[in-house]
Amino acid sequence: MVWQQEHRLSYEDFLEKYQFIIYLFILLFLFVSLRLFHLQVIRGNYYRTISEQQRTQIILERAPRGIIYSAGGEVIVGNKTSYVALFYPFTQEATPPKTTLDRLGRILKEKKVINSLVKGWRSGQVVRLAEDLTRQEMFSLLEQRLMIPGISVVKEARREYAYPEAVSHLVGYINEITRRELDSMSEEGYRSGDWMGRGGLEQFYDPKIRGTDGGWQIEVDAMGHQTRLVRHVRSTIGNSLYTTINLKLQEVAASALAKSPTGRGAVVGVDPRNGEVRILVSSPGFDPNLAVTGEFTQFLKRKDLPLFNRTMQALYPPGSTFKIVTMAAALAGNKASLSQVYNCQGSFKYGNKTFKCWEKKGHGRLNMTQAFAKSCNVYFYQLALKVGPELLEKYSRDFRLGEPTGLEGYSEKAGLVPSPEWKKEKLRDSWHPGDTINMGIGQGALWVTPAQMASLISTVANGGTVFKLHLVSKIVNQSNETVARFRPQRTGMVNLPGDVWANLHFALKEVVKNGTAGACNFKEFEVAGKTGTAQNPHGKDHAWFVSYAPADDPQLALVVIVENGGSGGGVAAPLAREIYAEMFNKKIEKDVKIEGVEKASDE
Amino acid sequence: MAMNFENKSSLNRFIQNIDWILVATVAFLVATGLVAVYSATLHYGSPGKFVATQVAAVIIGFVGLLFFAIVNYQFFKQPTWVLYALSSLFLLSVLFFGTTIRGTKGWFNFGYFSFQPVEVVKIIFILVLAGYLDKNWREMKYLPKIAIPVLLLLGQVGLVLMQPDFSSTLVFFPVTIILLFAAGVEPLYLIAMMLFGSIAVGIPLFATFLKLQPGFLGAHHYFAYFVKATRGGWPAFNILVAVTGSLFLFWWLLNKFRVKIPFVYFVTLAAIIIGGSLSSAVVQKSLKEYQRKRLIVFLNPEADPLGSGYNIIQSKIAIGSGRFVGKGLFSGTQSQLGFLPEQHTDFVFSLIGEETGYFFTQLVLLAYFILIWRGMVIARESRDRFGSLAAVGISTMFAFYGVINIGMVMGLMPATGLPMPLLSYGGSCMVSALWAIGILFSIHVRRFTH
Repeated sequence: MVWQQEHRLSYEDFLEKYQFIIYLFILLFLFVSLRLFHLQVIRGNYYRTISEQQRTQIILERAPRGIIYSAGGEVIVGNKTSYVALFYPFTQEATPPKTTLDRLGRILKEKKVINSLVKGWRSGQVVRLAEDLTRQEMFSLLEQRLMIPGISVVKEARREYAYPEAVSHLVGYINEITRRELDSMSEEGYRSGDWMGRGGLEQFYDPKIRGTDGGWQIEVDAMGHQTRLVRHVRSTIGNSLYTTINLKLQEVAASALAKSPTGRGAVVGVDPRNGEVRILVSSPGFDPNLAVTGEFTQFLKRKDLPLFNRTMQALYPPGSTFKIVTMAAALAGNKASLSQVYNCQGSFKYGNKTFKCWEKKGHGRLNMTQAFAKSCNVYFYQLALKVGPELLEKYSRDFRLGEPTGLEGYSEKAGLVPSPEWKKEKLRDSWHPGDTINMGIGQGALWVTPAQMASLISTVANGGTVFKLHLVSKIVNQSNETVARFRPQRTGMVNLPGDVWANLHFALKEVVKNGTAGACNFKEFEVAGKTGTAQNPHGKDHAWFVSYAPADDPQLALVVIVENGGSGGGVAAPLAREIYAEMFNKKIEKDVKIEGVEKASDE
Repeated sequence: MAMNFENKSSLNRFIQNIDWILVATVAFLVATGLVAVYSATLHYGSPGKFVATQVAAVIIGFVGLLFFAIVNYQFFKQPTWVLYALSSLFLLSVLFFGTTIRGTKGWFNFGYFSFQPVEVVKIIFILVLAGYLDKNWREMKYLPKIAIPVLLLLGQVGLVLMQPDFSSTLVFFPVTIILLFAAGVEPLYLIAMMLFGSIAVGIPLFATFLKLQPGFLGAHHYFAYFVKATRGGWPAFNILVAVTGSLFLFWWLLNKFRVKIPFVYFVTLAAIIIGGSLSSAVVQKSLKEYQRKRLIVFLNPEADPLGSGYNIIQSKIAIGSGRFVGKGLFSGTQSQLGFLPEQHTDFVFSLIGEETGYFFTQLVLLAYFILIWRGMVIARESRDRFGSLAAVGISTMFAFYGVINIGMVMGLMPATGLPMPLLSYGGSCMVSALWAIGILFSIHVRRFTH
């Protein structure tokens, strides 16, 4: 084929160019074709993911948190059902019909509800119209559902603390996760807007009880308007906790503490047979229900620190309650016998220092049991010197002072057991006999938490077995299957000769029967215990009473401390009495004879 | 046989000689385009309106196609200057009487529909150029004679730029270069021309680009000097002297090592560089502020992240997320939820990619290539030079339209705003594309007529 009226050569010349142009076009289309392959085949999954992400929005449906039960099965922390009215903008006309607004207004009766509805309509977003609907509002809405298009009533679980003040420190509270926590916890499945347990069981068991959030996956268009529901993922309630707490005793302890002279203090009760914590109260308490509201800040501002968990975060000198350790060390270490007698003249001179007894006129001649019952300081000064700091430290540690109890809680303190080495290292000073004298009566650099004292008195009560204190006996899932069970756990033994235990137990009973804790004496059963009135530089003495009952078959080991409350015998022992009375179903005998309590101040 | 052949009516002969592959390809592309436009306008709420308009354009285009197929293409061979005057008149009148849409005064508004004259001008220009080159192909061996087709090009492009419509001018350049090449112009001249052109236009474009992104090169002293040089003055002069100086040094060194290259090449190269740089100053000065602003967004979509940059990103997501078999017709999330911009016009190819997936999209691409390939075959089989050149011009137009549009929606090129012929919604483009195909048919059916 040749062009008309042209030379053959010029057509062949054109064919050469033609070839080149064809190749150029093939190259261009090959290039574009490869790009298409790259986008759709090689990178296809990547772009599909992006397109899915930008077309859907998740509206979170928070999972109900697990329930917290008492040992008796009462619900300490539960969830209450709250009804929320939602507005879905899907398949709506451009403007809200007036009839709809009127109907809604009649049911919900709040001006801002209508405003937010109109706003949601314009922007095409799901709107929470009203929360905490009353039953009547909910039923009216459901009745009118067909007449008011796009309105839906959704159930939501709200955390409900039925005994706010009594269990506040035991369970803690919840509020929204912070930005900083998210940085470190997002890998564990925490997301922005999640609830987070704070303090207490809510925090300690948060991963177990938080449940799995569900949500509505909603399709959104390029303008951000939500167009339809893609799917709904149900939330799963978290695991529930069965605690070892005796709710009745917990409440009595909380109210008794609240009525105490300062209203500040702690009560820890432990079953000495297994280490289960029956009572864990720190006073003043707070209302965890308010944690998500602005009113919660009042608890942060108060001077009496209601958010401070005194059972395990507060450190106090043990005062005379420590004489238990001193006496045990003296007897077990064969440093003195029960018949060891010292004469108390009201004070004790060592070197150029004078150490006073709380009884100014002196106790006179006392043997060890008498001195323990009367809590004579002069006796124990001299006993401590005989025992020496090494043995005092050893037995303190045997009774697990100076280390956290491992109770399920938040930032538990370890306390401090001083020793000559410790003093040299930390204070760059040598240990003086005066330090031993002070330590012997639980003063000086000795610091304990109420929980540690509870562990100590429980160990004494059961004759040497150290149980790990615990608050939760089992965890069950939503179908009531046990997922974890916590059995009593022995963490060690305090090995004292049998007669030492007997003598110690006898002395503890004497304290209640004939000593400083007469206020806790019952006719029907025996209580054994030791009072303490701990000096502190910040104000009035702290009132301690550590005890257990019944003395020969201990079922409860109890620690009571009233911060700046005054004397242990006068303030803490009567408080313990209320708890025992409740526990053993005894009316408090108002006219009980309390010997020497008015002036009792046992140091 | 010969007797029978002559006895047949001319209509029969016409039908027998039609390129049925091209017919099938065009029908496939137009049908695909109609379905895609329907899908793209579904979420606007009135897809029927858009499809009806597009169908109307197809009908007008088809009538035109028949007309141009029946009319002997050689009719357009002679009146080159009349055609050129006609298309210039179109472009001039739109500057006076046109309607402005999105900042471009490029439409005649006739009430029921509006018409974009530049779409027709593209085809007239191909005929004009083919006609001129057909008559003067012998002189195309001489450099000065190339000036006339280049001036023809600049005349039309200048008028289009006054609208201003940058994207529409993009196809004029490759069409001119390829046609000159096909007509026998020395490739070296074309390369020199392209070099000159890219220096003259490139420097102002580069300067504008740098103004947009001050941190792009400015960090280094040497680069900073270049940046300064784009604004003219002594730095520019120094660089020019340095470049030409090193060119001559290079030639001298080659000569020393007995590599004999005629001195004239170096002189030409130096002249191109100097000439290009000087004319870049003219280009830079003649750019008006509003043109420069449009140029900025044209060059750098990221300067307008919610505009063109966003468009390209969404388009890539749309195509990519289609994967092998697509999300299903009318069920593309990118398109139906409105993430994909301009989805019935410039980005209709992305919608096809998202909803039908790789296999079908590749098929559409193949069909588009077949269209161009048939155009080239028609060019080869044409009975005269004018027909061959016109067919090459039309094929080139389709090829570059396609590559620029698809390249844009796949993120290979800046967002230019060129539609995809035969697929995109848009009456003027559809009509002019079908008319161009009509001319191809006209060339094809007459290939045996001697």
